[in-house]
Amino acid sequence: MRAGAVAALAVASALFASGAAGDPVAPAGLARFSDVEVQRILRHGPWPPPWAPDPSSRVSGRAAAAALGERLFFDPRLSGGGTVSCATCHRPERRFTDGRPRAEGLAAVDRNTPALANVRWQRWFGWDGAGDSLWAESSRPILDPREMGGSARGVADLVRADPDLGRGWVRAFGAAPGPDDLGVLVDAAKALAAYQETLVSGRTPFDAFRDALAQGDVAAARRYPLAAQRGLRLFVGRGACHLCHLGPAFTSGEFQDVGIPFFVAPGRVDPGRYEGVKRLRANPFNLLGPHSDDPARTTATGTRHVRLEHRNWGEFKVPSLRDVAHTAPYMHDGSLATLRDVVRHYSELDESRLHVHGERILRPLRLTDAEAEDLVAFLRSLSDERAPTASGRPGSASPPRRPE
Amino acid sequence: MSAGLGAALLAWSALAAADAACLAGLDGGQALESPGYLLAYRTRPAPIPLGQHFAVEVLVCPRGGGAAPDAVRVDAHMPEHRHGMNSRPTVRAEGAGRYRAEGLLLHMPGRWDLVFELRGPDRTDRLTRSVVVE
Repeated sequence: MRAGAVAALAVASALFASGAAGDPVAPAGLARFSDVEVQRILRHGPWPPPWAPDPSSRVSGRAAAAALGERLFFDPRLSGGGTVSCATCHRPERRFTDGRPRAEGLAAVDRNTPALANVRWQRWFGWDGAGDSLWAESSRPILDPREMGGSARGVADLVRADPDLGRGWVRAFGAAPGPDDLGVLVDAAKALAAYQETLVSGRTPFDAFRDALAQGDVAAARRYPLAAQRGLRLFVGRGACHLCHLGPAFTSGEFQDVGIPFFVAPGRVDPGRYEGVKRLRANPFNLLGPHSDDPARTTATGTRHVRLEHRNWGEFKVPSLRDVAHTAPYMHDGSLATLRDVVRHYSELDESRLHVHGERILRPLRLTDAEAEDLVAFLRSLSDERAPTASGRPGSASPPRRPE
Repeated sequence: MSAGLGAALLAWSALAAADAACLAGLDGGQALESPGYLLAYRTRPAPIPLGQHFAVEVLVCPRGGGAAPDAVRVDAHMPEHRHGMNSRPTVRAEGAGRYRAEGLLLHMPGRWDLVFELRGPDRTDRLTRSVVVE
């Protein structure tokens, strides 16, 4: 632990901790947290955390590439029929989700549209993690016949023929689109990734409380509702939610089976990460392939060593909880409509369904109604309540930029 | 001094001088022993970061004039949760009893068991060290 963090913990513990998760309410509107709980809370910040450009994309973090990527993101001409854009499902006014249980592009998809805020900190992309970079994942829906039904040839023809996109291309890449269709598609995906890197959710009531805890600022901490404090104590305590939803982004970035039914339709299952690992290895755009701009493959460690096991069946990526109040419905299949439904799911887990592979992480929480409400209050406090800006970008944190 | 480091030094002090001399080749390493081998390891970076890839440097010393292992495997799992890592580390022999494991990542806070499997021509030893990552 860094010296600064040690000092912060000492201050926080002296003011807020009881030494044991005992007294339910401290004086003056503050719940009491054990030393261990305080440590766990502090690890969920500060927000936003540091970020460095992705070495596998030579335009990561570049403003000109983000500007081009923003144009492409909203352009339906990337799709096969010219009717569907990235923003058809990733709608800015809905925090880059669509509000549907399952996405619908050119056809119905089996999975919920994930939010895009904070994707720049992710390790794996897509619910099954078949993408190992934001740019690789950005090419996938363009080519998927159920989503945009486009092609490398179609994208390349578009950016070569459209003067405005062509100028943006030169600003982003320093040259006009080349003759290789696949190379142009990959670069378009890298521009799309550069745009999505700029989508960072804002600070939340939880962040204010967490920082007050770190600084020993009782007056500021009191502004965080007691219900949310009690829910937070459940989250890092008896609920053990922090085992998977950890760190500033509230996700391990890895995969978990949380007991959602395997079947997506009668007689049809979604294998989740099990198939995702296979697709990752076969993906010509993965970080071990020829399209990475990083000769040393410094970010390819996860891909090089990825492990396929039977337990991956039915596992899906642990989602970030930031902005979770605005991204309903929930879970990889959108099967839970509200945060109350999510909390109820974890309260009443079917253990016989969950532990077929022998894991013993999740147990039914058996929450009282009051505890469930507290946990929902805490989850809501992880959201930036400010409306998205005119461009649809959530939050206000300024992403770092590479020098142009 | 942490309890873990103290225990490691106590274990180290109990080793024969020749064994200690062998393991001293890995500065700052944690010592483990089995009937067939002595082993020292250190992680890069140290301490092990939660949710980030790390490497393990290993030094293996056969006991009693035994042969070096034919293969060294490094892995980790969470005994309380009954799951392992989502990555499969690779181990590269670097000569003189040294090995380097790459591609480990502990994705969940709590107690993990680091497992070193040493396969020789007529024996396989498993050496384990518990670590807590937060």
